[in-house]
Amino acid sequence: MVLTNEGEQLRRKSLEFLWMQNRDWVSMAEEGDPLIIEGGKGLRVTDSQGNSWIDVNGGYNSVNIGYGRTEIASAAYDQMVRMPYFPQSTTTVPTIQLAKKLAEITPGDLSRSFPVSGGSEANETALKIARAYHRRRNDNKRYKVVSRKGSYHGTTGGVLWLGSNPASPRGDFEPEYPGMLYGPQPNSYRCELGGTTPSECAYRCAKAIEQLILDNDPDTIAALIAEPIAVPLGSPVPGEEYWPMLRDICDRYGIVLIADEVICGFGRTGKMFASEHWGVVPDIMTVAKGIISSYLPLAATVVSERIASQFAGEENYLRHVFTSSGHPVSAAAALKNIEIIEKENLVDNAARVGEYFKNQLMELKENHKIIGDVRGLGLLLSIELVSDRRTKMGFPKELKVAERLNQKFRENGLIFRVGSEILNIGPPLCITTSEVDEIVSVLDRSLGELSTEVHLK
Amino acid sequence: MVEVPKLAEEISELRHSALNHLWMHNRDWVKTGEAGGPDIVVDGNGINVTDIDGKTWIDVNGGYSSVNSGYGRKEIADAARAQMEQMQYFPQGTTTAPLVKLAEKIASLAPGDLQRSWPVSGGSEANETALKIAKSYHKRLGNNGRYKIISRKGSYHGATGGVMWLGGGGSSRSDYEPAVPGMVYAPQPNRYRCEFDGQTDEECAILCAEAVESLILFHGPETIAAFIAEPVSASSLAAVPGNPYWPMIRDICDKYGILLIADEVITGFGRTGKMFALEHWGIVPDIMTVAKGITSSYLPLAATVSTNRISDVFAGEQNLFRQALTFGGHPVCAASALANIEIIESEKLVNNAASTGLYLMNKLKELREKHPIIGDVRGLGLLLGLELVKNRDTKENFTPESGMSNRLNQEFRSNGLILFATDKGVSLSPPLCINPSEVDVIIEGIHKSLSNVEKEFSIV
Repeated sequence: MVLTNEGEQLRRKSLEFLWMQNRDWVSMAEEGDPLIIEGGKGLRVTDSQGNSWIDVNGGYNSVNIGYGRTEIASAAYDQMVRMPYFPQSTTTVPTIQLAKKLAEITPGDLSRSFPVSGGSEANETALKIARAYHRRRNDNKRYKVVSRKGSYHGTTGGVLWLGSNPASPRGDFEPEYPGMLYGPQPNSYRCELGGTTPSECAYRCAKAIEQLILDNDPDTIAALIAEPIAVPLGSPVPGEEYWPMLRDICDRYGIVLIADEVICGFGRTGKMFASEHWGVVPDIMTVAKGIISSYLPLAATVVSERIASQFAGEENYLRHVFTSSGHPVSAAAALKNIEIIEKENLVDNAARVGEYFKNQLMELKENHKIIGDVRGLGLLLSIELVSDRRTKMGFPKELKVAERLNQKFRENGLIFRVGSEILNIGPPLCITTSEVDEIVSVLDRSLGELSTEVHLK
Repeated sequence: MVEVPKLAEEISELRHSALNHLWMHNRDWVKTGEAGGPDIVVDGNGINVTDIDGKTWIDVNGGYSSVNSGYGRKEIADAARAQMEQMQYFPQGTTTAPLVKLAEKIASLAPGDLQRSWPVSGGSEANETALKIAKSYHKRLGNNGRYKIISRKGSYHGATGGVMWLGGGGSSRSDYEPAVPGMVYAPQPNRYRCEFDGQTDEECAILCAEAVESLILFHGPETIAAFIAEPVSASSLAAVPGNPYWPMIRDICDKYGILLIADEVITGFGRTGKMFALEHWGIVPDIMTVAKGITSSYLPLAATVSTNRISDVFAGEQNLFRQALTFGGHPVCAASALANIEIIESEKLVNNAASTGLYLMNKLKELREKHPIIGDVRGLGLLLGLELVKNRDTKENFTPESGMSNRLNQEFRSNGLILFATDKGVSLSPPLCINPSEVDVIIEGIHKSLSNVEKEFSIV
């Protein structure tokens, strides 16, 4: 490696000055990381050494339209030249147009948006609205929030305590937020309640949430928050019964239903919003990532009129402010991004190519005993690896399955970092079937090699 | 391109959409509708912005104290476009050139050995990150009992689930109870209303710092993770602590093994006449958070900057700090921040904040001579506050029922000023590119506004 090379200098400086996500600077230095990414087009990106990579994760499942769309840069530029920013106590043209657009495309009576800058802020805002909503109605005892094990809703002080992920313990940040209740995840491959089909597991998991609510005094529960399909433990698609049951349970006990569509929204699962697969309208929906394909930071908490109307009138306003709320440049970029998603039928493409992708993965499963399960919807897909299909056991830590895979993917030009035996796939929605074939062929080869290495035939 | 509507009926339709679909700050849509719908700004230059009806305003509030380099900086847009055309986004774990350059730049500007930046998208996220680093830091060292956080009454550190419980007071967050565990509240070193009757800045500062030590001893130092404070608290109308305060706080934190977090979200990047406000007292915190002025809000970006002493504890694969944010370290935001910092440096906006800030402060003090409603004038650089009182002797504030702040806000509006009064007072934080003749126009507007309100409320 040439030390005078600019990329190499940047790499060394990044290890000195930058605190990066999911990696530490000592182990990165040992592995010659990080890559400096310099350009991108479609689902490919290029690093400072000129290597081209396929981004299987779509930038944390967020770059829905793919890389290299200069139309968005133009839209952002035009807005920034004219009106770069103003706080949301007044507003701007693109912010209003985005709020109107969200009201049009979100299901049912979701119609009022509180714009923010990321999924964590959107979910925090949703929780605050839910708690404040009950107070406005003098339902003062309600503050607890039900989430599900194996879900993820963000990283800031409230939402970091929702859901759970064994791969990412949070003991460092104790004590936890008061009022957290945890329901089961409707994952029929590993149903906590012994359900053997998606339907049976869905029914039992929804019933368990009702029981959890009854056990904890329904009058003390403010909200239930869930992703239509939860990513951390590998995108289990709940059986058909699940979401309609959750909607009924929330209605029965006066609980606000929050759908976290941060990952699922904007076409990822083959519908504009994943809640549409089951015809369910939540009371509050949060969106981020795909709303702007991460070209800039933007997210929103979209609220039904029934909830929002409690905050009308001078004395009732929501006390909640972020400097960058409703950023006009981000809003202009989001509008252009949504236009591309609509014009290029990327939602349909996610459904169609997603199905193709899933079928290819099912075929891989025929050839590789190491694949325990293939699941997901649209372009939100997962492979779960097991050492034994019958017991569904994972692998001993010392086999370093994730590290081995990461190295193989890297050698084969995939940006696809896995943290465990669950491989989460979420490429840009503009992916073609031949690009799917390329990825599947690397997976095929890598899993074959891995199986030999860990003596699994 | 998002076109700005020109025709009256199009503008009216746009306002209608805002009232129906947008959840704005600090006001509800019924009230905003009754007032004719929201203001919609479409253009800006320097300290001025123009609304959709063609009216030009002076932004004395500086976009929530954030637009440090002023409006209309095409250089920042050029930098953002160039970066976005080349590389729009990539999650951390890999990285991008502008982000590395920004982290290096922050390390070169920040005091002492503050060196490693965790980039995020806003002040709340930056402060949440700081609290998480502080709690984890102690756990990594085996000090498992340290989780409480000391903040100061009247301070503000953000709106998300953890930091919203810092600072504050009163009923502003009762909607969101219960609070997170471990919040400890110290006094605000505000000489005008010193909790301990300190009569001078110095006396109040010493008493308030000593009170922090008492709180630590009361709770048990082994239970406290961090002390967080703004160098000058904007939400307390820019209360500037007396000189002994910050050195004492630094000593107290060191004495008890407590991490000192400086929230420079508002004060950073020149606002108080130094690049970072703690430089006024020569203090280096363990963690510093920055936002707002780092990009002048041209795009959302913030950072949590740690000293090596803190971040070293997280080196090595087993010591990983577990946190991820999709938009953390966004390359387009980083490129904008670099262009913005270049403007601040090349145009010497920090020096201008000091000199024009002093000019503005003196003009406000002159106003105090004419207006008995002004109880106190305070602040530093271009972060200034006017505390308003019914009576200077009793220092009694106005109540919401009095309607004073509504009237004063109407007056500011009719004088073309974007400036917000509460019943406690008014904060001023214009862009740092302001010049003395612009100050004079603002002072004239405030003078007229206060005169009318004083007359109506019989303040003599």
